[in-house]
Amino acid sequence: MDLDRTTTALLAGLFDPRNAAAWEAFDRRYRPILVGFARNCGMKDEGANEIAQETIVRFVEEYREGKYDRTRGRLGAWLVTIARYRMIDQQRRRGVAKVERGESAMIDLDDEQSVSAAYEAERRRGVLREALEELATKTKTDPKTVRAFEMLVYHGLSPAQVAEDLGMSTHDVYLAKSRVAAKLRDIVERLEAEYEESPGDWGAGGRPSARLDA
Amino acid sequence: MKGNDEPFRDDDVTTRGGDLTRSAVPVAGCGRFPVDLLELAAIARHDRDLEIDPQLEAHLVTCTLCARAVDRFDTDQGFLEEIAAVAASRPVPLESPIFDQRDVRGPSDESEGPIRGYRVGAELHRGGQGAVYHAEQLATRRACAVKMLLGGRFAGEKQRLRFEREVDVVAHLRHPGIVTLYESGLTRTGEPWFAMELVEGERFDEFVRSRRLSSRRLVELFRLVAEAVAYAHRRGVIHRDLKPGNVLVDREGVPRILDFGLARIAEPSGDGAEVGQPVDRAREQDRDRIGGATMAGEFLGTFAYAAPEQLAGDPAGIDSRCDLYALGVMLYECLCGRRPFEGARSIAELVVQKTMSDPPRPRTVDASIDGDLEVIALRLLAADPARRYDTADALVEDLSRHLDGRPILARDDSFVYVVRKNLRRHWIPASAAGALFVTIIAAGVSLFFAYQNAERERVRSVRTLASFQKALGSANPETGAGSSSMGIDDFLGLVEQQVSTELVDEPYQLAGVLRTLGLIHLGFDDAVRARSAIEEAHRVQEDGFRRGEVSAAQFAETEFALARLQFNLQEYALAEATYRRALTLREGALGNADVDTVETMRHLASALRAQQRLDEAQSMLDEAIRRSTYFPDTNAANVIRVGLLHGRATLSAARDDAGAAVAQYEQALEALLEIVPRDDWRVGRTRYNLARMQLRTGDLPRAHANAFESEQILRAKKGADATMTRESASLLATIRAMAAQAGVSIEPDTEGSSAVSGGGA
Repeated sequence: MDLDRTTTALLAGLFDPRNAAAWEAFDRRYRPILVGFARNCGMKDEGANEIAQETIVRFVEEYREGKYDRTRGRLGAWLVTIARYRMIDQQRRRGVAKVERGESAMIDLDDEQSVSAAYEAERRRGVLREALEELATKTKTDPKTVRAFEMLVYHGLSPAQVAEDLGMSTHDVYLAKSRVAAKLRDIVERLEAEYEESPGDWGAGGRPSARLDA
Repeated sequence: MKGNDEPFRDDDVTTRGGDLTRSAVPVAGCGRFPVDLLELAAIARHDRDLEIDPQLEAHLVTCTLCARAVDRFDTDQGFLEEIAAVAASRPVPLESPIFDQRDVRGPSDESEGPIRGYRVGAELHRGGQGAVYHAEQLATRRACAVKMLLGGRFAGEKQRLRFEREVDVVAHLRHPGIVTLYESGLTRTGEPWFAMELVEGERFDEFVRSRRLSSRRLVELFRLVAEAVAYAHRRGVIHRDLKPGNVLVDREGVPRILDFGLARIAEPSGDGAEVGQPVDRAREQDRDRIGGATMAGEFLGTFAYAAPEQLAGDPAGIDSRCDLYALGVMLYECLCGRRPFEGARSIAELVVQKTMSDPPRPRTVDASIDGDLEVIALRLLAADPARRYDTADALVEDLSRHLDGRPILARDDSFVYVVRKNLRRHWIPASAAGALFVTIIAAGVSLFFAYQNAERERVRSVRTLASFQKALGSANPETGAGSSSMGIDDFLGLVEQQVSTELVDEPYQLAGVLRTLGLIHLGFDDAVRARSAIEEAHRVQEDGFRRGEVSAAQFAETEFALARLQFNLQEYALAEATYRRALTLREGALGNADVDTVETMRHLASALRAQQRLDEAQSMLDEAIRRSTYFPDTNAANVIRVGLLHGRATLSAARDDAGAAVAQYEQALEALLEIVPRDDWRVGRTRYNLARMQLRTGDLPRAHANAFESEQILRAKKGADATMTRESASLLATIRAMAAQAGVSIEPDTEGSSAVSGGGA
């Protein structure tokens, strides 16, 4: 595991206002998650982006003020709380009545548990996405092997079809699938360790102050 | 699928979970089929279209090693579905950021106090490292103490990171004897601060002195401190600066330890190499604080509690045992009213005193001091950390023992003492009990130790555990020195209970102990308890074995125990199958000619014999005997060699070939007498078997002599009520009756020692 990529390391870097690299890394890691999360909570793309950015800015502020105490609550829980109040606030300001959110609202913002679950699902998707990207760009895995994996797993083609398309034996197609899966699992495990947010730890500990002022 | 065709070209595949990627983890099964085929078999379990080699399929039914390899290849369908779903989902519509970090407000306003979020009040205490203030956490309105460390800057990011990690560990300590750390951070100028629970109380030594505590009350109080230290040690936190001033006794009379772990956190120097230079640090602090004016008193006072290895400034030599030394000084001081080393005028002098000389024995200072407490204090004050208690848990144990009037373990070098005290309290055989109690505690203790230290300690704990199992095994009357007349049930119950608690986080180790306990129960003919223990051990280890967390050799041992249980319950077919599994595992893990492997063959032959498959049993035994010629000349190997000879004779007996059986039993007896005393129960058993065969061949005088001796040995060793003894007595009666009927003389003076004179003479 790359210690400099852990959330702990990113947070340490964030302390220093001049450390632009830490800011960018933190933003790169958490903004997509927060945008996806906000969308799951019924926000439109534009609003979701706004929420995500405001959440990150607010978080870093609070963090630098020493309000965020890692020992008493997961980072994710903290971010979710900030984002959740922002969303509630925004909806109120825009006069969106709760009932009117209608079918687009998949998550009830008043239900803390499902809000947390939505964030966690999004975080996991973020990890998987990052893993896929890493597989595609950083590893030296044979493109044909990856291709076979994609055809099997993403497109649901039969091993025989894939074998024919790629000119491999069926057995090799199977092995390709198994090995890419293993590789991905490795990457995912490593990334999860870097995120340091295991799903089991949810809800343990404190929450940030529920300040709604902008 | 070899060479260039391999789908993976990169070499940086991690080994963890790397079964699928050609890693260092051996997954090759038994070697009959290539790894690729095993992998395909694993995949075929999910993809029904994929065919696997029918030969391999058949093989998987019988071969544990290959079946296990396949299990480890098993693909995770759920994971792949997760991946597919993410790949198919719409990408997150990220817009370019509208904020950046310039939009973030700075950490604090000048108008606020030094620590944001707190109102800092009156100074409570000022010491070498910094000052402690009364404070209020604004958000919660909670009163607390804030400690600010002076002179410790955290300049680099790595140092900050380390600081946070350390704080994280300490802040997770939750114990009634430890003052809780709430929060910490760095001031704008980079100095660390800590907000902690506000405790009002009296210094430990002042409390003891002013209350004139009885010895018992003092030990009770001290044990609470030791328990808190033990708790922190188990979580890997060392105090490093324990002293009476860091232990406050609160209004309820509970001692509370302050500043746990802070000594290390507060080291601004970063990595371990620079940590622990207390002499330099002390000089620095001293200069900061009082300009050197009153150096001698308070300053040396602090270092009175430091362990010699701390004073020597060798960071690598410092571990949790430095806290034990500090506890030793505190205990000594409370007992004697003075410190163990007095009169030093410099650090250098103190170091020399602490390493070169022993403190005066407490009883020479005050003869009324209890001997146990003297031993405990001196053990804690040993200059060599290795001679102190291994862990604070061991100290707590001894303090508890002292309070309960049981023998303390610090005297384990004086074994007689332990046995004597045990004899007073228990009627179970004192030697076994003494050894066992010592090892049980040692096992538990060193396991705890393993949590906080590295591989070195882990190795040691495993070794201790092995000796613990051995000690248990030695109480087994079947293979060891025990006797079934000893009331061991309660004792074993106690052991089981204790071990279950000690090993709660080590399920596989616990299973190993349960297995041993089960075999002991079996030795005592308690099939019910044996079954429950062995089956539980088997369940846990089988699970671990499938996950690859339990070694084949380990699991084989449990399979072997299970088979013995089944054999004992006369479930011979089951026993046979289990022995075979154990044999396959042992052949794979230990080799064909290993002592344990051959022992398994011997038992397997017995299971075959019990099913009247005499030819199979014979060839199994012959093969075992052939392999035993490669044995080393060790005691264990010799025991098994004798067992093989005995087994061969028993087989001849089963074939009704009494003549061969007599010759073979005699051979077995001769070999046996070379390695055990003449009155060993196994000698009794062999003589009994021999007598039966001699009776059948009509050699009444020798039959009588052997039956006579057998009955005497077994009655002495197994008890008059043991099945074996009764059978032996009944055989003796039969022989006598037959001799009387036939008019043959079987006078004792014709005792057939000639038949067995051999090595026993």
